[in-house]
Amino acid sequence: MDFLLLLISAGLVSGAAYGMIAMGFALIYKATGVVNFAQGELVMLTAYVAFSIAGAVDLGFWSLLAVTVPIAMAIGLTLERIFIRPMLGEPAFAIVMVTIGLAVILRGVTIMIWGPDPLDFAAGLSREVITLGPIPFYPAQLYAIGCLAILVGLAYGFLRYTRVGIAMRAVAANETAALLMGVSVKRIHAVAWSLSSAIAAVAGILFAANFKLGPDMWFQGLRSFPALILGGLDSLIGAAIGGLIIGVVETLAQGYLGQGLREIAGFVVIVVILMVRPYGLFGARDIERV
Amino acid sequence: MRTGHFKESYGELVALTDSSVTRAWVGLLVVALLLLPLVAGNYGLSLATAAMITVVGAVGLNLLTGMTGLISVGQSGFLAIGAYTNALLLADYKWPLLASLPASGIVAGVLSLLVGVPSLRLKGLYLAITTLAFAFIVNHVILYAEGLTHGPNGVFLPNASLLGIDVSRDRPLYFLVLAVTILVVLAVLNIKRTRIGRAFLAIRDHDIAARVMGVDLVRYKLLAFVISSFLVGIAGALLSLQIRFVNVDVFGLILSIEALAVIILGGLGSTAGAILGAVFLSMLPELIRIAFSTFGSTQSVTYTTYVYEIRGIAYGVVIVVFLRFKPDGLIGLWRDVRRYWTNWPLAY
Amino acid sequence: MRKIAAAGFAACLFAGPVLAADPGVTDTEIKIGDVNILTGPASFIGRAVSIGSKIAAAEINAAGGINGRKIVIATEDDGYVPSRSFQALKKLVESDGIFALSGTSGSANILAMLPLIEENKLPTVVTTTPNELVYTPVRPSVFTIGATYQDSFYAQVKYIHENVRQQNAVYGVIRQDDEFGAAVEGGYDKAVKEFKLKDGLRLRFKRGQTNFSAEVLQLRAAGVNALVNGGIIAGAANILSEARKLNMDLAVASVWSEDMPPSVKLSQPAGYPYILADYVALNDAATDTYVEKAKKYLSADEVGGINRYSYLSYVGLKVMAKAMEACGKELTRACTVSELRKIKNFDTSGLTAPISFDNEQQLSGRELKIYQLDPKAGTFKALVDFKRY
Repeated sequence: MDFLLLLISAGLVSGAAYGMIAMGFALIYKATGVVNFAQGELVMLTAYVAFSIAGAVDLGFWSLLAVTVPIAMAIGLTLERIFIRPMLGEPAFAIVMVTIGLAVILRGVTIMIWGPDPLDFAAGLSREVITLGPIPFYPAQLYAIGCLAILVGLAYGFLRYTRVGIAMRAVAANETAALLMGVSVKRIHAVAWSLSSAIAAVAGILFAANFKLGPDMWFQGLRSFPALILGGLDSLIGAAIGGLIIGVVETLAQGYLGQGLREIAGFVVIVVILMVRPYGLFGARDIERV
Repeated sequence: MRTGHFKESYGELVALTDSSVTRAWVGLLVVALLLLPLVAGNYGLSLATAAMITVVGAVGLNLLTGMTGLISVGQSGFLAIGAYTNALLLADYKWPLLASLPASGIVAGVLSLLVGVPSLRLKGLYLAITTLAFAFIVNHVILYAEGLTHGPNGVFLPNASLLGIDVSRDRPLYFLVLAVTILVVLAVLNIKRTRIGRAFLAIRDHDIAARVMGVDLVRYKLLAFVISSFLVGIAGALLSLQIRFVNVDVFGLILSIEALAVIILGGLGSTAGAILGAVFLSMLPELIRIAFSTFGSTQSVTYTTYVYEIRGIAYGVVIVVFLRFKPDGLIGLWRDVRRYWTNWPLAY
Repeated sequence: MRKIAAAGFAACLFAGPVLAADPGVTDTEIKIGDVNILTGPASFIGRAVSIGSKIAAAEINAAGGINGRKIVIATEDDGYVPSRSFQALKKLVESDGIFALSGTSGSANILAMLPLIEENKLPTVVTTTPNELVYTPVRPSVFTIGATYQDSFYAQVKYIHENVRQQNAVYGVIRQDDEFGAAVEGGYDKAVKEFKLKDGLRLRFKRGQTNFSAEVLQLRAAGVNALVNGGIIAGAANILSEARKLNMDLAVASVWSEDMPPSVKLSQPAGYPYILADYVALNDAATDTYVEKAKKYLSADEVGGINRYSYLSYVGLKVMAKAMEACGKELTRACTVSELRKIKNFDTSGLTAPISFDNEQQLSGRELKIYQLDPKAGTFKALVDFKRY
């Protein structure tokens, strides 16, 4: 029993990271209809930026977040402006390819700036173990779960109550109609990229605090695809829940079946979901079978 | 008097080429390739062989991505399947190369159904994600199915021979790869002339219209994916013949990205473009090296420290810049230049 | 005109091989190849290897070279990708015309290069990856320095069994699912069988994995208190960090790469005084003298990049130089190989145990020294001196 509880808690922690990364994917997909293959690289880049900031000034976790998030948003805006905006009106296929190219570029740039060695990054959090009932946690692990909850709340509020959020949903539902109603689709795309980078920064900092900072962190972007598909591609809250589920599934697969199954359990889930429920748990059901 | 370029029968529309100039140039190119071993050293030959293997893979991917408009990010998985099939059949089961080479393609093609069937029923970018997942699963299976694949130790290929000629040497291998490349290119060009090829193009350009015209979308998408995986599997087999050792590390994901860069650079959908792109990008590392060595020593220190990163960035930039400014790639650039001079001085 | 040119070219082609003896040797120079991981996450290894070769070459050249010939090193990057190692070596052999090979990258990489090495009979000294697959079967021109991972972990488990956990020990191993991991488990397996230890759990994980929470929970559930940690760098650190969270009491055996500063920095917060067994010296008079020597030839930046791999490649090139010197003026690959085979008790001034290649496997330097980390200071102290296991 103890073992099961510990496994589930560990699964929730890794799931929180997947969830946050997948939310970044879902936001861009919702607004622009494109899977951003550079999301993992954004997570890595912003984590490195936070590392440099933490190296320059001694900050607590929340102040580090407060400094990093605006920078991340600026990075997101810049990337959107340079790489994505000019492609507006091109087929989704071409834009996805651009994000693949962007991903490779960001990877190279990150290593050229910060070097290839992995780094220890505490992100202003202590390493004292906190025990909740029978289960021990590092603070960074609890923060990861907490931040995922906060992000879900913010996303819900944003999409439901703010003007921009509603406009974003309008764009997602029907881009042309939204345009005719006076919504600036370009602006919505830019907002989506910058908010997605902000989410990436939170995910990146907490991931690095839990699992070290290294130039292979971009890979977590790919690892988060199962969460995204399970959640349903265009649902932010679905992505978060999908992340938690995938995290727990992976950890249980490893804990009870072993054989390195953790690393591929998620991908097996992808194939299964696409067979039985391609729109995921929470996605819009406009998936077309051909 | 003919005042333009007219097609007067359906046969001419689907002919490979109706221009004797093109025929002459292609003939010249083939002759030049046949004579290359006389002038190039072993390193040059080995580079050329690697470039042609890339051509086979790129032409295969192009059939899927360029012609049918489906993205695959997991071609490295099929490359691994092809290479491992060839290596294992030669090393453990003592098959002759003549049988193991096509078998590599067939195994890759058959296994592609595993990914293709669930994801190609759906509209959209699902194939990109499932192929990615597939590449990971292939890697995992290779490592864990030790009884079949030798797991992490990899497989050394014995000296393979074809019709009594030892193809582990540079020259015979070059000729073998050249022959396969020509066959593959001809095959793909011919597919394009048939109903199948036209169905692929129709799916890419407008799937609803294609369906109305009687193209069974699932069947043709699946067919494109299987053919493409078959060709990539063949490329993998050739790669294993060249390196003579296969191991999961040989088939990193970066290969899939490189392959996409190749066909975008060359010109999506054009076979000639895929060839051009493959040759160009295979030579790119050498070109970057030369570029850096001409800029004096300080830059070449940056270069040697970050060569891999710089190369990665170069691939990324190629993808982004070409998609943005020249979506029809190098081959489009060439067409523009040609049109300009044909119509000179009245070019527009 | 064209005909004449072609004929001239053909003449050159056929004339070439007749004139040249073994490539890479001129009256003034000997060209030695080095294929290495200079880029990507594992590049700290390749950079250190290059630094070591550079020091050895500088030292030899400062002393007048090898029978008057200077050593020139041609380095190629492979980014840790085996197919690139193959292309890189092809380039070194065919285009640069190297005489011998001294740096050989990672395990899968050297395996991918072996067919070419054999074909060209390149004298090769392998120092960074003394993997069993490299010397079984023996390739005539390949010489290996170092203990295998099997030896290293066998030695550590033996040490833990005899000195740390004499009673109630439950052993466990967690290792990568590649050939390196298989070797780690091999050493563990040998020790467990030989000393009849309690074998708690064996786990495999994928290279590059960062999250080990489930695995460490499995280890705890199996009651493991002596762990063979086959993770490297961030992986090893994350395993220890999870174990610390669960407050596990562990004796830890580690991969030798964990003696390098970046690894130590990552692992320090978990606070486990892990042990490791290495076939090079870590911190004593031998390495101090080495670093002093290095300062003469290198920039401060490069001196900072010195680690165990630099000592190894230095030793490797020195041994090769010794063999080439014995060949005198008529330097050929065949002669170098036969001289390498005669090397006996070559003194490495304490960097490794003395080197002798006069055995079947052409393998030497298998003696291991056992160290333990002081997690507070981040330094190592030697527990057992060089010894063959």
